[in-house]
Amino acid sequence: QQFGAMGMADQQQAAPQPVQVPQSVPLNQLYPTDLLAQPFNVAELDYPPPPIILPPNTSVYPSPHANCPPKYVRSTLNAVPTTSSLLKKSKLPFALVIQPYGALHDAEDSVPVIPDQVISRCRRCRSYINPFVTFLDHGHRWRCNMCNLTNDVPQAFDWDTTVQKPADRSLRADLNHAVVEFVAPQEYMVRPPQPLVYLFLIDVSYASVANGLLATSARCIKESLDRIPNADRRTRLGFIAVDSSLHYFSIPRDGSESSDPQMLVVSDLDEPFLPIPGDLLVTLSECRENIEVFLDKLQEMFQNTQNNGCAMGSALRAGYKLIAPVGGKLSVLTSSLPNVGHGILAVREDKKVLGTSKEGSLLQTANSFYKSFAVECSKAQVSVDMFLFSSQYQDVASLSNLPRYTGGQTYFYPGWNAARSEDAIKFAREYSEYLSSEIGLEAVLRVRATTGLRMNSFYGNFFNRSSDLCAFPAFPRDQAYVVEVAIDETVTKPVVCLQSAVLHTTCNGERRIRVLTLALPTTTNLADIYASADQQAITTYFSHKAVERALGSGLEPAREALQAKAVELLSTYRKELAGGSVSGGGLQFPANLRGLPVLFLALMKNIGLRKSAQIPTDLRSAALCLLSTLPLPLLIQYIYPKMFSLHDMPDNAGLPDEQTGEIILPPPTNLSSERLVPYGLYLIDDGQAQFLWVGRDAVPQLLGDVFGVSDKAQLRVGKQNLPELDNDFNQRVRAVIEKSRDHRAKGCGSIVVPHLYVVKEDGDPALRLWAQSMLVEDRADQTVSLTQWMSSLREKV
Amino acid sequence: MDYEALKEQWSDFEDRDGVRLSWNTFPSSRMEASRLVVPIAAIYTPLKEKPDTPLLGYEPVTCKAPCRAVLNPYANVDIRARIWICPFCLMRNPLPPHYKDITEQSFPQELHPSSTTIEYKLARPAPAPPIFVFVVDTCQDEDSLKALKETLIMSLSLLPPHALVGLITFGTMAQVHELGYAECAKSYVFRGSKDYTAKQVQEMLGLLASGLRPNFPQQPARPPLGPAARFLLPVAQAEFQITNVLEQLQRDPWPVANDKRPLRCTGVALSVAVGLMESSFQNAGGRIMLFTSGPATEGPGHVVSPELKEPMRSHHDIDRDNIKYYKKALKFYDTLAKRAANNGHVVDLFAGCLDQVGMLEMKNLANFTGGHTLLTDSFTSSQFKQSFIRVFDKDANDNLLMGFNASLEVLTTKELKVTGLIGHAISMNKKSSSVGETECGIGNTCAWKMCGITPSSSYGIYFEIANQGGPAAVQQGPQRGMMQFLTYYQNSSGHYHLRVTTISRNLSGPAGDPALAQSFDQEAAAVLMARIAVFKAEVDDGPDVLRWVDRMLIRLCSRFADYRKDDPTSFRLEKNFTLYPQFMFHLRRSQFLQFFNNSPDETAFYRHVLNYEDVSGSLVMIQPALDSYSLEHEGGQPVLLDSASIQPAHILLLDTFFHILIFHGETIAEWRKAGYQDQEGYENLKALLEQPKEDARELIADRFPLPRFIVCDAGGSQARFLLSKLNPSTTHVSGGYGGGVTSQTIFTDDVSLQTFMDHLMKLAVSGTN
Ligand SMILES: [Zn+2]
Ligand SMILES: [Zn+2]
Repeated sequence: QQFGAMGMADQQQAAPQPVQVPQSVPLNQLYPTDLLAQPFNVAELDYPPPPIILPPNTSVYPSPHANCPPKYVRSTLNAVPTTSSLLKKSKLPFALVIQPYGALHDAEDSVPVIPDQVISRCRRCRSYINPFVTFLDHGHRWRCNMCNLTNDVPQAFDWDTTVQKPADRSLRADLNHAVVEFVAPQEYMVRPPQPLVYLFLIDVSYASVANGLLATSARCIKESLDRIPNADRRTRLGFIAVDSSLHYFSIPRDGSESSDPQMLVVSDLDEPFLPIPGDLLVTLSECRENIEVFLDKLQEMFQNTQNNGCAMGSALRAGYKLIAPVGGKLSVLTSSLPNVGHGILAVREDKKVLGTSKEGSLLQTANSFYKSFAVECSKAQVSVDMFLFSSQYQDVASLSNLPRYTGGQTYFYPGWNAARSEDAIKFAREYSEYLSSEIGLEAVLRVRATTGLRMNSFYGNFFNRSSDLCAFPAFPRDQAYVVEVAIDETVTKPVVCLQSAVLHTTCNGERRIRVLTLALPTTTNLADIYASADQQAITTYFSHKAVERALGSGLEPAREALQAKAVELLSTYRKELAGGSVSGGGLQFPANLRGLPVLFLALMKNIGLRKSAQIPTDLRSAALCLLSTLPLPLLIQYIYPKMFSLHDMPDNAGLPDEQTGEIILPPPTNLSSERLVPYGLYLIDDGQAQFLWVGRDAVPQLLGDVFGVSDKAQLRVGKQNLPELDNDFNQRVRAVIEKSRDHRAKGCGSIVVPHLYVVKEDGDPALRLWAQSMLVEDRADQTVSLTQWMSSLREKV
Repeated sequence: MDYEALKEQWSDFEDRDGVRLSWNTFPSSRMEASRLVVPIAAIYTPLKEKPDTPLLGYEPVTCKAPCRAVLNPYANVDIRARIWICPFCLMRNPLPPHYKDITEQSFPQELHPSSTTIEYKLARPAPAPPIFVFVVDTCQDEDSLKALKETLIMSLSLLPPHALVGLITFGTMAQVHELGYAECAKSYVFRGSKDYTAKQVQEMLGLLASGLRPNFPQQPARPPLGPAARFLLPVAQAEFQITNVLEQLQRDPWPVANDKRPLRCTGVALSVAVGLMESSFQNAGGRIMLFTSGPATEGPGHVVSPELKEPMRSHHDIDRDNIKYYKKALKFYDTLAKRAANNGHVVDLFAGCLDQVGMLEMKNLANFTGGHTLLTDSFTSSQFKQSFIRVFDKDANDNLLMGFNASLEVLTTKELKVTGLIGHAISMNKKSSSVGETECGIGNTCAWKMCGITPSSSYGIYFEIANQGGPAAVQQGPQRGMMQFLTYYQNSSGHYHLRVTTISRNLSGPAGDPALAQSFDQEAAAVLMARIAVFKAEVDDGPDVLRWVDRMLIRLCSRFADYRKDDPTSFRLEKNFTLYPQFMFHLRRSQFLQFFNNSPDETAFYRHVLNYEDVSGSLVMIQPALDSYSLEHEGGQPVLLDSASIQPAHILLLDTFFHILIFHGETIAEWRKAGYQDQEGYENLKALLEQPKEDARELIADRFPLPRFIVCDAGGSQARFLLSKLNPSTTHVSGGYGGGVTSQTIFTDDVSLQTFMDHLMKLAVSGTN
């Protein structure tokens, strides 16, 4: 059969395509600007990426959805160099930022579903049929836009199974939409689709009981039971409470003689075992009432504990044993460092080391258990999420390995305490969102591309199972992935295609493939490349690279690499495209990349990478997790936070747009203290935390309207919610704060509900300094200001 | 005194002191002693119920160290000098100040001549109320488990309300139930396949401080019993909770393949139980009560593999040393047994299983700790239920008839030395001047720990005559040898008690004193020799033990019988020796020394009970009692334990101690089947059929464990129980000898009593011994 296929290919080569199709439309124009003469304006970050300009009739049908929107896949280059040498010369990276889901729930981000299970794929390269194929032979065959092989069109392709009538091919979603989801037939399953399984590993040691984590988690899970996806009524839950022992719970079915759970304590941590053969994972639909009974009791069960042990490593092993036959999520909620059993971690943070070259080792994994076990989990379709709440060192660096290799996420709540209602509410809202998310299961991601292109490296939380296959025991909806593309052979086509496919099981037990096909024009021209480069995608790529470098070589090398890259890009542009010799003191760069130097500087100043001797390792590690997982819009905001001036916001800001009904945000402001007036009120929002900055000369009217206090002395700083006051300004400020948190509007999913900190310019210095660290254009501590940065770049270029 | 009078006297002694001696006169020289063949020994029942003995509410007066003998009626008290002379060490001791007012007329109780046995209630209170830990096998069928659960729940009402109760269940894994946990049913689970050390068990149950918050202020309301109080709760407080847990108890949930035995980790369960008790209740009285329905197949102490195709070991396998797990399991349980014993805790072994459960391997758990063993077919049986209830018998004051954490110390006057003890105890390795040079049973010590003790617990205690340099000091009157038994135990009322028995017997006169032979108590001697034989059988080969029994019998006969050398027909035994050869004949044939038809578990069980009973109980085991009932005479008549006693028109009632059997002769059986007993005019038959049943009920009344009750007819399959016990006077070998057409022929290769006696006489008179 393979022979046959090769024969066919040969036939195709007998009638080759024209080698070089002349560019039928002009690509993006290069607009040079001077970075020094014309300073960066933050509003530019809200511009869309340079458009993808394809020759007419590239797609088989003239659908507006034929090409992949930037919401799902963004390429660093929207014009692809035809050769590797040209790419090299550009010094720009060629990579895709892939974010297969735009929201936590399908309802908020629907994608066309092809239910007929007719999935036509290229026999050679296994690409899925897509809007960029061409039909031949009266529509009986199609030519693959990746490898040029001619394939038969499946018989059922033009048949509508639901109405049992011939269908109009031109209406097929897979030929009109670049982003589609195929319902997969039997062949795509190695086993029947698994149910959704959540096994909660809850720390019940003294620390977790004292800070209220146990009670809050139990209550939150109970209140979220209806939100956990369970359309197929197969969702299963289990609970292990962990201190120096493992406490298993057998929860009876609803209607059983007894509704009470049974607690089985296993203290033998050497090789954790299951105390009973069944009943430890229960079907939500069958045990709903008794799960509630259990969760009510759970809040009280350990209230008098004095146990300071935390055998979380052993609990993970035990949890693995429990769910490995099915696969699923291990959802870890802990306030402690694992100090007994498997995977013991020690307090290794040394304040003296912070800020030195030795700091890097603290970001690395302290115990090999966390890598090897993660790989084991990946193989068994077990995904781990870590929710960390310690008020002391918790070794986020080591613990975050588990999510990193299993498609999970690390959520860090430093110093969390349920006694502060803001803390309790934030976690409860986030955890509830987390539980409600329609994650995928048993997933793999593969990216295929036009012949000549090769997926080179992959970044994000997953396990790279083989050269081009990324495995996700669970596929989250709030993360993005970066795939670097290599050009192996000279590309001879005017358009290349890159197709990302996520094979997964939905939490309703359906096997599906989400396919995202991106078509990009090619070019032999360096100017085109620069003119079509996407500065945000490029920043995302370098964010991942910087994390990789920081974990591998240390923070200083990571920062140095960023700086060197900035210099290199500016030099390359100057040399190759700005005429080289042109001097005159300016710093030339195309308009579409004007934000890049600022973003690089901001990235270097991010808490994950900033040069400082003051940043606790756990905070850094948690930040590195975000820098390597956040969807692009959130990542850019995390690097270069949004600042809005509120005291003088336009009249329409904070009110719904007349057409869309969406709240209108004020125009963003550059992150520079020069922009802050002493009587002003500002919102600074990096997506993880929001700061409401109250200038030192804020007038009583403003304070009264916004906070309901007459005197600044009465204004409490720190975490809080704004009071709901009966005045127009208060409502608008609150609307802006709320809108700034709206992930959906940004086109991505996230569970994060940022804390709002009220900061007084002349208030608590620690809080003020923290807020000021968001002002990345300022000089602070050991970091340079934007002006210093630009002049140093100019010197080096 | 004639023999009957002597017997009467011995019986009085037994009633008063709980002691029967093999020789009631002690030989005065080592030489003389060596010719006695049967050693000087006592069967002693320390806590024999004596309602008339007052309980003294004060501390005993003791001799100075190292003697420490307790003041007793044999002490010489000089009231004026306010001293007493210790009869054991002859030291003078001042009377304590508060004895200053005593006169000849108002002696303290312990000095009354009748106070040879007396009990003190000591001021020392028990460290904790009695503790009962149920260790329950869940690998059993629903009916059996249900019956057991009901029995256990019922037993809660038999316990003193302040007694502490704990529950461990086991199957594939072992679970310790935290009865004190209020939120829900909670248990700690131990892997069934792992050998946990004591420290691990305690750590895993959270009984050690590790893992707790350092520098955490101690809770002010810390329970006085330590962290184990979570697992062991007063019945009164936790009855509801315990009942609940027991009611909810399910069969072991792990699946069992058709060709497999269930995984049963009896060893781990017991080790966890011992560890739990060890942590917080060392030397506080308690019982670990195992209820098992099958053999251990998992983890340490497993006695058979889970593969069904692999059978349980038999005596034959053991003889051939052809058993995989035996020695390892034995070692495991023995180590555990020693730990429990050293901690003062009792282990009871209750089996409800048609097959063996590994009693052989586990036996020392009960043997070392004074625990009970019981083999029954199922926990649904009344044999189990009634025996179990009997464990909780109470005295007149409503205190459980069980002592805890008991120890026994023996003191002797200088002529006597103690050589050992055979019974349910372990050595306390205490050396004193009373310890002899040789060893019989558990020797080289004058003190033993028995942990569990009941009013029936009886111990064989063996002595030798000391080498005396030169003639004894001249004293007035006949010389006497003395023993004092000091039994300390935790009474279930919550106090320590001390029971003191002081025995004094004459020493024999010059060599050849006939008083010596006259003082032979053949019943006590038979029981004491049986204990030695069984003790030997535990280590020696069966045939060696039988040869030893024979040799000792022949030597005893050649020493004490009256005969002309080499003339068997001249052989005569004195009255107090005549039954002894019969006892030995039956002992040789008994289940204690013969394995035919018995499993190793049964052998272990029978031997255990033999080492617990007093003289009369043991004698029934050695030589079963047979009564015959017929229309000719009123009531049962004792008949010979002989096949000749089987008559068609008679009913036999056989009591082997372990079995009570009613056997209807052929004719009786026919009548009964025809239903004559229900017809008018045949009231006498009805009465005849009822009489043995009534008598059997009486026999069962205070027997522990409850015997198996069998009713059978001549020719029925159950009749083999009877036939196996009868002297084969009419075997297929001997043909019609001694019996008419009416008697039953026993198919056996055993020698008959007659043949046995013929041989004995021949050998005894041959003088080669
Ligand atoms: Zn192809
Ligand atoms: Zn003395």
